[in-house]
Amino acid sequence: MNDNVHLSVDGVWAIFDRFVAVRDVRFNIRQGELRCLIGPNGAGKSTLLDLICGKVIPAKGNIIYEGKDITRTPEYKRSRLGVGRKFQVPMVFPDLTVEENLAVADNLRARVWSGLGGLWYGENPAERAEVLNTVGLENRRDVKARQLSHGEIQWLEMAMLLVRDSGLLLMDEPTAGMTAEETAKTGEIFSRLKGKHTLIVVEHDMQFVRQIAETVTVLHQGQILAEGDIDSVQNSKEVQRVYLGSVEAENASVD
Amino acid sequence: MTTTGKRTLLGYVAFCGLILVLPFLLRGNSYLLNKSALYMALAMATVALSFTWGYAGILNLGQAVSFGIGAYAMAMHLKLVASAGNPGGLPDFMTWNSVGTLPLVWTPFHSLLVSVILGIGVSVLVSTLIGWFIFRARISGVFVAIITLALLVVVNLVVVTEQGLTAGWNGITNLADVTVGGVDIGSYGFGFYYLVGITLVVVLLLGWYATRTKTGLVLRAINSNTQRARYLGYDVAAYETFAYASSAGVAAIAGMYYAVGNSFASPTFMAVPFSLSIVIWCAVGGRRSLIAAAIGALVVNAIQGALSSDLLDVSNLVIGALFVIIVLFLPEGIVPEIGGAFRRIWTSLVGYSGARPHTPKERMPGQGTSKFTGGQK
Repeated sequence: MNDNVHLSVDGVWAIFDRFVAVRDVRFNIRQGELRCLIGPNGAGKSTLLDLICGKVIPAKGNIIYEGKDITRTPEYKRSRLGVGRKFQVPMVFPDLTVEENLAVADNLRARVWSGLGGLWYGENPAERAEVLNTVGLENRRDVKARQLSHGEIQWLEMAMLLVRDSGLLLMDEPTAGMTAEETAKTGEIFSRLKGKHTLIVVEHDMQFVRQIAETVTVLHQGQILAEGDIDSVQNSKEVQRVYLGSVEAENASVD
Repeated sequence: MTTTGKRTLLGYVAFCGLILVLPFLLRGNSYLLNKSALYMALAMATVALSFTWGYAGILNLGQAVSFGIGAYAMAMHLKLVASAGNPGGLPDFMTWNSVGTLPLVWTPFHSLLVSVILGIGVSVLVSTLIGWFIFRARISGVFVAIITLALLVVVNLVVVTEQGLTAGWNGITNLADVTVGGVDIGSYGFGFYYLVGITLVVVLLLGWYATRTKTGLVLRAINSNTQRARYLGYDVAAYETFAYASSAGVAAIAGMYYAVGNSFASPTFMAVPFSLSIVIWCAVGGRRSLIAAAIGALVVNAIQGALSSDLLDVSNLVIGALFVIIVLFLPEGIVPEIGGAFRRIWTSLVGYSGARPHTPKERMPGQGTSKFTGGQK
């Protein structure tokens, strides 16, 4: 398991005031792996992604990406290193066209001065066209992002991660609000991405998880509860207790 | 290049051509040439503001700081030239303020070249420092407006109180003409007009280029969704500082021309009403387009100039009313709205706009970006 480790989360804690959102979580992810993170609401899934992408700095523990300690690296530098995040609420540039959104995402030249070296349109137009075809937005190229439908915005955001060739893709509920058809298409895109990219997907839709996942990590109250393939996780007594009996557990913790 | 890109470029060419032929339309009238040159200098400062405000979403209410630094740098040089015959080459106002010898900060301004470099350099340096602090601290939207306004008030106060150095309220007056290589450029002839005009054209063309580079696109992206731009790996503060400082450099050049054209520099060049006027011109023309901002500055100033010769006190009222009407009914500014109207008429006449299927209207109810923060969310 130690060979080809792409991302290593090593005993991280996230504490807000006195609330512990993530407690001593540790796991390794191989290069090209597709890992699903599941767990009930408030389990710390999104916070874990926040820790990896740099939105939240851990109170304790380390995050090692491609052999480099990035625990205290600011988020924009992590992004340059190849950590790409797709947020739960889609985040695109509403005032820019679809193609402009992609051009911004494709930041081979991320610096102010080098960015003045040429018109943006001339940079990698073929690559943008290819990615637009992949996600089926080729006819929406010159439309402002604010005029896209909910599903299309999700595709656009995925296209933005594709065009920048991020090594590690963090997907927070990528199928939220999608129709069954759109969800299936998202699954196809993910299957195409895995191998080339390392993916961490936070998801509630178990059918979707079954479609895409190799390894599933279950979080509960900020801690890792189980890890393994989808069947072993679903058959785990503890996981079943957490999912089915969470109401009971909450009641128990009240007294 | 996209169709809209070509159309915009055509607009630039037409505008620049108009600047070049205007002196012949004015039949060389030196008063009007001077006025036009002054308006073009103001247009330059407005174009610079449109770059920061319309593209990068930074509402800089202190644009007049940079403009004033440029104006004073030039005025100091021209005052020294005019005072060459005085005892010790000392400007008259220093004698009145019982300053015996030329202060050290004035000495570099004997040279025109050094004065120009200092005018632009100091302005860019000050903005880079201030921008660095503002944008590193992730201050945005209306707070940037407040800080830049406060900066303007402070700088203005310093200039007014340091009478021995700056001549205080009176400003630096009775300036010499600019001479480059022995040629007197004056401020009422073709020479001065074309100097300002060609600079404005160069600024517009450079601006056209800059807004279409990757950096220009990223500035618009930052304006549209700052957080997203940050996660994509852009050093947002560096981009914002770049926009703020480069705009300051252009404003300083505009200020220099303005001092030459007026033959004086006064604290009103870096006062709050003037600085806010630049914002108004920008909003009237259309802040999201450099050329629209330039047209806004020219149109408003021309109207104001024409009115003030007849109805001195009413002119500000008319301009104020114009501003209110435009903000209420044409929030994108007159130039984009008129352009849109022309396109609609053309489409209805020809039945086809010639462009790719255009999206009907960019503003939707409840989705329009806030007018004064450039869409900070």
